[in-house]
Amino acid sequence: MDFFAQQDKAHRKTKLLVFYFVMAVVAIVIAAYFVALLLFGAVQAQHYQGRGAPPAFVWWNPRLLLDVAIGVLGVVLIGSLYKRNELAGGGPAVAALMGGRLVPSNTTDPNERKLRDVVEEMAIASGVPVPQVYVLDNEKAINAFAAGHSPSDAAIGVTRGCVELLARDQLQGVIGHEFSHILNGDMRLNLRLIGIVFGILCVATIGRVLLYTGGGSRDSRANALPILGLALLLLGSIGVFFGRLIQAAVSRQREFLADASSVQFTRNPLGLSGALQKIGRYSFGSRLESNHAPDLCHMFFGNGVREPLFNPLATHPPIPDRIRAIDPTWDGKFPPLDKEEVEVVRRAALSELKHPPPSPFPSIFGMPGGMAGVIIAAGSAEKPPVIKPHSVLPNLGNPTLLHLRYAEQLRNSLPDSVKAAAREPFDAVALIYAMLLGDDENRRNAQLAEIANRFSPAVSQKAATLFPDVSAAAHHAHLPMINLAIGALRHLSAPQFEQFSQTLQWLIESDGKIELFEFVLQKIVRRHLALQFTKARPPIIQFYTLRPLVPDCVVLLSALANVGNSDAAEIQKAFATGVPYLRTPDDADLVLLPREQCDVKQIDAALNRLAQAVPTIKKNLIEACIHTVGADGVIQESEAELLRAIADTLDCPIPPLVPTEQNQNAA
Amino acid sequence: MGLILIIAVVVLVVVVGFIGFFVSGYNKLVTLRNRYKNAYAQIDVQLKRRYDLIPNLVETAKGYIKHERETLEAVTQARNIAYAAAKAAAANPGDAAAMKSLGSAETGLAGTLGRLMMVSESYPDLKANQNMMQLSEELTSTENKISFARQAYNDSVMVYNTDREVFPSNLIAGMFNFSPAELFVIEKPEQKEAPKVSFT
Repeated sequence: MDFFAQQDKAHRKTKLLVFYFVMAVVAIVIAAYFVALLLFGAVQAQHYQGRGAPPAFVWWNPRLLLDVAIGVLGVVLIGSLYKRNELAGGGPAVAALMGGRLVPSNTTDPNERKLRDVVEEMAIASGVPVPQVYVLDNEKAINAFAAGHSPSDAAIGVTRGCVELLARDQLQGVIGHEFSHILNGDMRLNLRLIGIVFGILCVATIGRVLLYTGGGSRDSRANALPILGLALLLLGSIGVFFGRLIQAAVSRQREFLADASSVQFTRNPLGLSGALQKIGRYSFGSRLESNHAPDLCHMFFGNGVREPLFNPLATHPPIPDRIRAIDPTWDGKFPPLDKEEVEVVRRAALSELKHPPPSPFPSIFGMPGGMAGVIIAAGSAEKPPVIKPHSVLPNLGNPTLLHLRYAEQLRNSLPDSVKAAAREPFDAVALIYAMLLGDDENRRNAQLAEIANRFSPAVSQKAATLFPDVSAAAHHAHLPMINLAIGALRHLSAPQFEQFSQTLQWLIESDGKIELFEFVLQKIVRRHLALQFTKARPPIIQFYTLRPLVPDCVVLLSALANVGNSDAAEIQKAFATGVPYLRTPDDADLVLLPREQCDVKQIDAALNRLAQAVPTIKKNLIEACIHTVGADGVIQESEAELLRAIADTLDCPIPPLVPTEQNQNAA
Repeated sequence: MGLILIIAVVVLVVVVGFIGFFVSGYNKLVTLRNRYKNAYAQIDVQLKRRYDLIPNLVETAKGYIKHERETLEAVTQARNIAYAAAKAAAANPGDAAAMKSLGSAETGLAGTLGRLMMVSESYPDLKANQNMMQLSEELTSTENKISFARQAYNDSVMVYNTDREVFPSNLIAGMFNFSPAELFVIEKPEQKEAPKVSFT
């Protein structure tokens, strides 16, 4: 199933969840109504005792129903909204709940570096910014989670047992599993689930509070409170039970899918299977210590709570089933884990640092000299890579082994200065600036002077030293560099980010003309960081049909048609090639806009609106973009990166576009 | 009878409101505390790198500096003091005593390093030494990173301290013992001196 279908499915699942949720709440309201009715009757009977016959018992009391409904709905709504607000911080908020410690991108611990490298490679391979990585120091078990609303605010957390006990390829399997959750839109679904279950849980909690506080009072009228409390507690608990049932049902399905995707990313079933086996062999398994484990367990890699007695309540399929699904050769045994395992893994991590790991996969690039030449040497004699338009879309959100290998090599072939810079907050700022410096020396010096003035002289110096390396790197190294740097930029403080962002804006506008690629790069940086530093919320789907978005699509396609074409007929042809893929309604107004009418401001507005469309619209749009750019039969490298950058602003990460011949070799 | 239900609803809303208020206030404080601790981790990495560089620097300088060898010893000593202070601070970032002693140890180290650089001015051979040039270049860039990370740390400490002190979260801070965090300050004059380890 492709990326968009997955997104759509996650989106539909959310709707289904909301439906279940409404059903559960309605059931609680009705049940609470009957309890209240009985209480009402009882109190009335008491009241009329000795004063003649009480009025007949009525089943239909709209006034009472209204009161009960308002009460229950109010509690559930407030609870859900509160939880939702609490988790608005995305991945980092969840990691904080679990007691996670952020791994510094420049960490020196060998195990943490192994973890960071694995995450970085996976991020480059799938084209998303490097997520924040947390280690849960208090958890001995082997487990991991991914949380967030979108790739921009995603966090990956792994337990201490996970980093200490898993070898590199096993860790890769686990991280691949988590990336599947990031790419398939499961994370957002998971956050919703937490909020919903919490809202119902509130009813039970309030019931408990009433039961205890009301019990002390002697007033006969107040005696209704503890009974009401008991009723609420029971009803709430039943509601929570069903909530957990939904939680488990949704989660179990996604876990199998994520396992399968992980194997697809790494093409190494033994890694993931090894990790799962270690969970089975380890005395602590995947059990979590945190109090929040029951609420969050559906986000984790392995089952984080005690195996429930009742099977449908399990959020994860049993470990042996998961192992068998990916590795039929497994013998079904779990010999206990040696104590020395920690030392073995640590030593392996140390030696990997000294000698970069021999890749566990056979090389798929049959080219002499490896990929390094293609990746970095922009001006080398090798012929430019050719990418066929039709090979782009199927890879979207579906990185494969090919992309992972490519990412590994790309990262290794980046100049050391750039690699190191992308990991330090201070240097990462300089790196982003260096990427946007002009080629002309005079202009560049003026820009550097202004950076010194606006930000700091030290950053300006650093940008100047990085510039030669950055400008020597090929076009398609830019997006990965940014994705790497975003991880470090998250360590800026809010005032530093503000200063950084303003200087960035100035830098983009300083050369008078704004290049589309430059513009999109800075948009990516700011968009991914805005979630953390400003109050911005992740975009919510607002457009379900294409009609209101047609003008925005036209702006974008016109701009793309203008890129790399100067001849009016060529531009028209490129535009005309792309447009049919939009699948617009027949009467839509699809006319190529002149260059002046699709400037950066309009593109910016268009992209912001398009980011709020449903996945199917984005799919058609990206297909249209690909064909507009590839109207001349091939996609040049710079065009490919522009495409990836634009797709990124729409939250549709495209893996690196690996040249076509190699794609065929791999197949 | 309707009255009881209304009271019950009001009580429910108030209870939920109170729980929500407390939990969110508490969580916010925890988040802010984690943030400044993370910011400190960034400084710590750089400090460690600098403490690793200094012995090499001293070792290289030893071969050239004939007089004023006490400057070298002073650097080594200041480095060891700062190293210990950084270790204590890393164990408990934001702790007032630890941060103050780290601040003064770093001020001292920056002072002695500045003096070493002044002394080495009179040894042209040392200045021309490839190793020395690389080391001092690395040292400068590490100093830059430290000051940048320090700024980020101080910013997040300010936010945390403010949140801790304003009403109503100061109630929660008092109940759960959220102690104030200390800024990381390195005294001005020496701090200006220190990064200038250039040999050009």
